[in-house]
Amino acid sequence: MSAPITQPTPNWLERMVRDYSAFVVALVAAFMVIFFIGMATAPNFLTLFNLKTIIRDAALVGIMAIGLTFVTLSGNFFLLSLKETAALSIVAFATSMSAGYGFEISFLFTMVIALISGMSQGVLIGLGGNPIVVTLGAAGLLFGLGSYWSDNLVISFRRPHGAEWLGTGSFLGLPNITVAFILIAIAAEMTLRYTTFGRQVYLIGANRAAGKATGHENFGMAIKTCAIASVCAAFVAIAFSAQVSSAHVNYFSSEFGSSGDMTIMVIATVMVGGNSIMGGYGSTLRSSFGAVFISTVDNMMVLHGFNSGPRVLAVGLMIVFSIMVFALVRRGSRSQE
Amino acid sequence: MSYFTKSMGVLVAAGLTVGSLSSAAFAASIVSFNGPAGEAYIGRFIKGIKDTAELKGYDIKVYENQFNQAEQDQQVQQVLSTGQLPDVFIWWPSDAVAGLGSLRALAKTGIPVLKINQLPNEQDKQYIFGYAGPDDRLRARNAGYMMREAAAAKKAAGGTGFNVLALSYPHSYGGYGLSINAFKEAIAGSDLEIIGDVDEGFGQANGYKGAAKMIAALQGQSIDFVYGMDDAILTGGIKALEEAGLVMGKDVIAVGTVCNGDKQLIEEGKQFGTTLQSPLHEGQLAIKMVEEYLNTGKLENYINFTPNPSVTADTIETTALRGYDGKLYTIEELCSGAWGG
Repeated sequence: MSAPITQPTPNWLERMVRDYSAFVVALVAAFMVIFFIGMATAPNFLTLFNLKTIIRDAALVGIMAIGLTFVTLSGNFFLLSLKETAALSIVAFATSMSAGYGFEISFLFTMVIALISGMSQGVLIGLGGNPIVVTLGAAGLLFGLGSYWSDNLVISFRRPHGAEWLGTGSFLGLPNITVAFILIAIAAEMTLRYTTFGRQVYLIGANRAAGKATGHENFGMAIKTCAIASVCAAFVAIAFSAQVSSAHVNYFSSEFGSSGDMTIMVIATVMVGGNSIMGGYGSTLRSSFGAVFISTVDNMMVLHGFNSGPRVLAVGLMIVFSIMVFALVRRGSRSQE
Repeated sequence: MSYFTKSMGVLVAAGLTVGSLSSAAFAASIVSFNGPAGEAYIGRFIKGIKDTAELKGYDIKVYENQFNQAEQDQQVQQVLSTGQLPDVFIWWPSDAVAGLGSLRALAKTGIPVLKINQLPNEQDKQYIFGYAGPDDRLRARNAGYMMREAAAAKKAAGGTGFNVLALSYPHSYGGYGLSINAFKEAIAGSDLEIIGDVDEGFGQANGYKGAAKMIAALQGQSIDFVYGMDDAILTGGIKALEEAGLVMGKDVIAVGTVCNGDKQLIEEGKQFGTTLQSPLHEGQLAIKMVEEYLNTGKLENYINFTPNPSVTADTIETTALRGYDGKLYTIEELCSGAWGG
């Protein structure tokens, strides 16, 4: 009787060469070389203060991206109404704060509005509406409501106020907004990995027909994931308003990212993280890293003295690069099946 | 012809007649092309032109674009295609260079065009009868003078450290060059020295992000003064400096412009001062220039600036400006941003 033949387990390099084309490996390698040279040569890059700055910079967009990832993973593409949800939420929060209702009531009031907004969009998407069309319509509606409600004026509330701990406070040397980002990232990833709901998100996203056959309809899933995305957007609105003690319906249109559009930045973050646009593949952890990665490259370029033009170009290139690499990787892995 | 058709014809004719009569009731008609009312500054500007036009008996129609030149171009074509043209156009281009074609189309109708907010350039001068709006250079120069004053006081008190961080508009934006050059001219010859200039973007969030990155980049050097190209950017920058452990008003002296940030920062001593730039005034000035042109056929001055007085904690409660409508406005009514107006 001969002994069974055992194959040696390939190491990571052998697996990479086996699974991915030389083109993909070369692309990623070239990018990593540029990235590490940039980091090593940027003055003051590897300081604790700068590393905290990078994560803080990524926090608000990252939290929104985590919420959106649930929608994308469930196969419902993107919500194009994120910045408008945030716009209505910030108006609601600041109006309540300036009326003297305090942080807790203002927070709950804002979250209820965001939940209604998200769930309503989820119902329409769950009924078969195209997510792009539904959320494009919702975007106009939500922004219009915020604009009408605030009369397009800046709503301010005087310091000291009950929301300052969130906007400008810190814990163990980290800004509370950064702490919130880390906690939300952990909670979201745990939810996706270890709960029934998380597994349903992947199942419905990967194969809607299979999900339906096993009793998991997209109707309920669309409502839940849209609600999560809206709540995350509302949280960002509250945190930002708490920081600047004011609100304006246009804050999220003109203030985030050099691209000037927060929704686009959030979608870019989800894409750079390497989540599948078709659903079923990816994670909130990827989106969180996507946010930190974009922030790192941007930070590195500022330290190198680049002004906004080349930095916008770099973010654009990163998105294109990520989409290309992940498409090639996915194609490669499918060909192995 | 049926009775119904005849009745409808009479109604349409009556409607047109009433429409013409109501148009004729106005002293003049104006069409303004500008950005969206959803933006705080532009929202106040629109209030300024509408209220003043009403006061003067002018009929005004406002076409808002979402900071999109293509949309504004389309609006111009729509207005021109109706054939019902106003007596004056007010032109606030979304992009002065890209919008040149639309400005040329407006001018070709023979109707006078007043350019606002963005200073005329060599290409568009020939198509407009004048300019009304803010003076980027004056407000930046005033900010520079305020900072000089603060630096001199610091030096007199035995203070050291005169490094300046500039939180700027995007460097590609037209107002950047005018502002930074005027600011540099104003601080020239003093102890102040610009050690960093970051252009993260407009608004508070970008001001915060830009300042945070520059604090990291400038580690090893002290940041003693900060110049915000407008107060919204500066407000975010102040948050970042505070998070870095710096005490505003003590470790760092901040000066901004435009009064579109946070009044409380000046009251608390965290911001040394700003320069007043009122969108309400800008709107009123535009109508005043239209009135002057309609009455005399020309403007006394081709370029007409809104006033940009300096405002500090000492003057914040007493600063007021008379509007072109004759009313006296408080600073809260004049400023945009979190100024309580």
